[in-house]
Amino acid sequence: MSRPADGGPTLKAAPLKLATSTPAAGHASAPRVVAILGNPNAGKSTLFNQLTGLRQKVGNYPGVTVEKKTGSVTLPSGRRAEVIDLPGSYSLQPTSPDETIVRDVLLGLQTDTPPPDLIVFVVDVMHLTRHLYLMMQLIELGRPIVLALNMMDTARARGVTVDIEQLERDLGVPVVAISAAKGEGLGNLRRMIERDVEPSARRFRRWPVHLERVLGSLEKRLPRHSALPERARHDLALALLLDDGEDDMLARHSPPDVLDDARILAKRLDQLSPGWRSDDVAGHYEAIHDIVARAVTSGTPRPDKLQDRIDRVLTHRVFGPILFAVLMGAVFQSVFAWAQPAMDLIDKAINLSGGFIGGLLPDGPVRSLVVNGIIAGVGTTLTFVPQIAILFFFIGVLEESGYMARAAFIMDRLMGRVGLSGRAFIPLLSSFACAIPGIMATRTIDNRRDRITTIMVAPFMSCSARLPVYALLIGAFIPNIWVGFLTLPGITLFAMYALGVIAAIAVAAVLKRTVLAGGKPLYVMELPPYRMPQWGSVFLSVRERSVVFVQQAGTVILAVSIVLWFLASYPRGGADAAHVEQQLAAATASHDVAGAHQLERELAGVRLENSFAGRVGRFLEPAIRPLGFDWRIGIGLVTSLAAREVMVSTMATVYHMGDADAHSSSLREQLRDTLDPRTGKHTCTPLVAVSLMVFYVLACQCMSTVAVVRRETNSWRWPIFMIVFMNAMAWGASFVVFQGGRLLGFS
Amino acid sequence: MNEFPGEAPTIAIDAMQPGDSGVIARVDAEPAIVRRLMELGLVPGTELQHVRVAPLGDPIEVSIRGVHLSLRRSEASRIHVTPC
Repeated sequence: MSRPADGGPTLKAAPLKLATSTPAAGHASAPRVVAILGNPNAGKSTLFNQLTGLRQKVGNYPGVTVEKKTGSVTLPSGRRAEVIDLPGSYSLQPTSPDETIVRDVLLGLQTDTPPPDLIVFVVDVMHLTRHLYLMMQLIELGRPIVLALNMMDTARARGVTVDIEQLERDLGVPVVAISAAKGEGLGNLRRMIERDVEPSARRFRRWPVHLERVLGSLEKRLPRHSALPERARHDLALALLLDDGEDDMLARHSPPDVLDDARILAKRLDQLSPGWRSDDVAGHYEAIHDIVARAVTSGTPRPDKLQDRIDRVLTHRVFGPILFAVLMGAVFQSVFAWAQPAMDLIDKAINLSGGFIGGLLPDGPVRSLVVNGIIAGVGTTLTFVPQIAILFFFIGVLEESGYMARAAFIMDRLMGRVGLSGRAFIPLLSSFACAIPGIMATRTIDNRRDRITTIMVAPFMSCSARLPVYALLIGAFIPNIWVGFLTLPGITLFAMYALGVIAAIAVAAVLKRTVLAGGKPLYVMELPPYRMPQWGSVFLSVRERSVVFVQQAGTVILAVSIVLWFLASYPRGGADAAHVEQQLAAATASHDVAGAHQLERELAGVRLENSFAGRVGRFLEPAIRPLGFDWRIGIGLVTSLAAREVMVSTMATVYHMGDADAHSSSLREQLRDTLDPRTGKHTCTPLVAVSLMVFYVLACQCMSTVAVVRRETNSWRWPIFMIVFMNAMAWGASFVVFQGGRLLGFS
Repeated sequence: MNEFPGEAPTIAIDAMQPGDSGVIARVDAEPAIVRRLMELGLVPGTELQHVRVAPLGDPIEVSIRGVHLSLRRSEASRIHVTPC
């Protein structure tokens, strides 16, 4: 493959910057990079998993939220080829970030991913007509393609036969019959991948005359480039013509004068031939019809009665929502409760290893850093894994079985009212257990704006880490009075959960009308046939999610916990601490065990107060005073950045209570009884408690969540936006509660 | 395939009853949406069946060439069929 001559005289404008494909080393060499591509629900990921097994890597395409999955396959000769699992697509004219990536990779616009040497195009043989639409576009790109006819077992069972040779003749590409789920035909496919596949010479698409003429004039002006076959430029020209100005990639890669002319031509076509933007589609479908009619005989077709029968129950007007509620209850319960034993176990193991490793190190700053910084940070990361694994197990089963699309079908109306898609329900529900798996679950929402809106509101769902804070404050300050058949503490707890939901609905509605407004997403969704889940695929997705979380969010969480450790440990206390240390030494010398114990707690408290975290808490006091919070709560707000439940142990340290928990009555008493030495009033009152709880409902505190938002949106913009608007909301709401409450005479 | 004045009357698919079938006559929407709907197989001249309505009344499920699609009523009201 030769590069174009530098400064070629024919190029007026800036040349297209195109990624060059890997040069083939010799004629009969196996492809280096194989892309697996197909429509959604074609069985693409199942095939990818079957071919690559555990040899998979997950990354991100730069600058977008689309995940890049790669792996390697062993070919019959023993050689390896790299496999890219391209996102499911319907067309080369993209309508989503996923489809844009596919187009960019195939047209060579994606500079970090060279165009593949071979495309394995996967189709569901039962839906051949629809799936061949994209195939036609690909064939005309002039790249080597193998067609994998998937779900041949289903076809056989339904009496559908495919004349494979006829199909090969008509399409000009090799065709392999497979059943990815059962592992049938994969040996043939591997052999085919290794063979030297020639690009098809066929052209099928029937372009309307007016369009053909315009495309021809445009493509002549696109610079020639070795990476793109001559014919691919038709699609590039069409993309330029259809672009509504939102396509950054096209704009970046095309000469500006061609871009301008494309806009003018599109406007002229709008006037002359209003339907031109879709005229070619019908023609392409006609060509596909002819091919399918020649190759497929339905024998005595038995339609999919099973799908209809199941759907009659699962999407029934009454039973549908009931079954949905039961299923969601089970999912929620398992993320919320079943993960607990595993989380406790991890917690214990971390504590044990902290104790063990700590024992090996001499007392001092290094031991403290290792035990309270590093091991604690690793522990925080790992305790999320059981919830993530359980949630993604269920999501895997629901997706693979085909139920997920039905769940969205049932919930679409309700979620649509706030401008979200039906698929936002499961991520939001899971966020009641923990926003981290919830945010990771937004991956099933294909519209980018909907997905980001869902991510932005997920942390408003009261997660399980807020529960200890609510429990401590309600236990200490909300009197156990019966109101009808409910108690005041119960009502307060419910109100906090409800407040989060209301905030999420309001924020989603506002975001969809402002920052994330624009575009009219098409809420067309396929309801795929029901299938038995592929346990291997479910296992792989659980593993992949957990590994991605630990590797990519875990590093941020670890860094944050080391920083927080430092803030809470340094400086080591100054004169106050030295004074308590002397008393402690005296008490120890005189064998006053109880006294020494009390002094140790006091020392921990004094040290925390004098640390950077304590100073930040005091520094924050003027800002949080209007909310009713004193510097002690300020310290708790700082340490809550590690995890909200740390608030409880911080309060215990600040009030010299040792390691009391949320249900400790002595800590509750201490909270109630402590007086402010300056004013002689209680530092914490029922009104302060309510204000604080409202703050915890709305504030963005959890740095692990921020780390996951960063990873899932692939930018710092959204997490920073989240920190700002959530904390502004929390401050405002607590201000209204506290000041309003005082005006009304509460204390 | 094109619809001429005076041809058989058409109805929007959100007005169909579950079980009804029709041949797609035309799709009235913004050009980009028309293109995507057609790429998904909703091409004029193709037979379409209304399958069911979601429990909350929206969206609706249609079947075309054996593929089942969920469409919001706002989109379904733009697709017109000649009942058969």
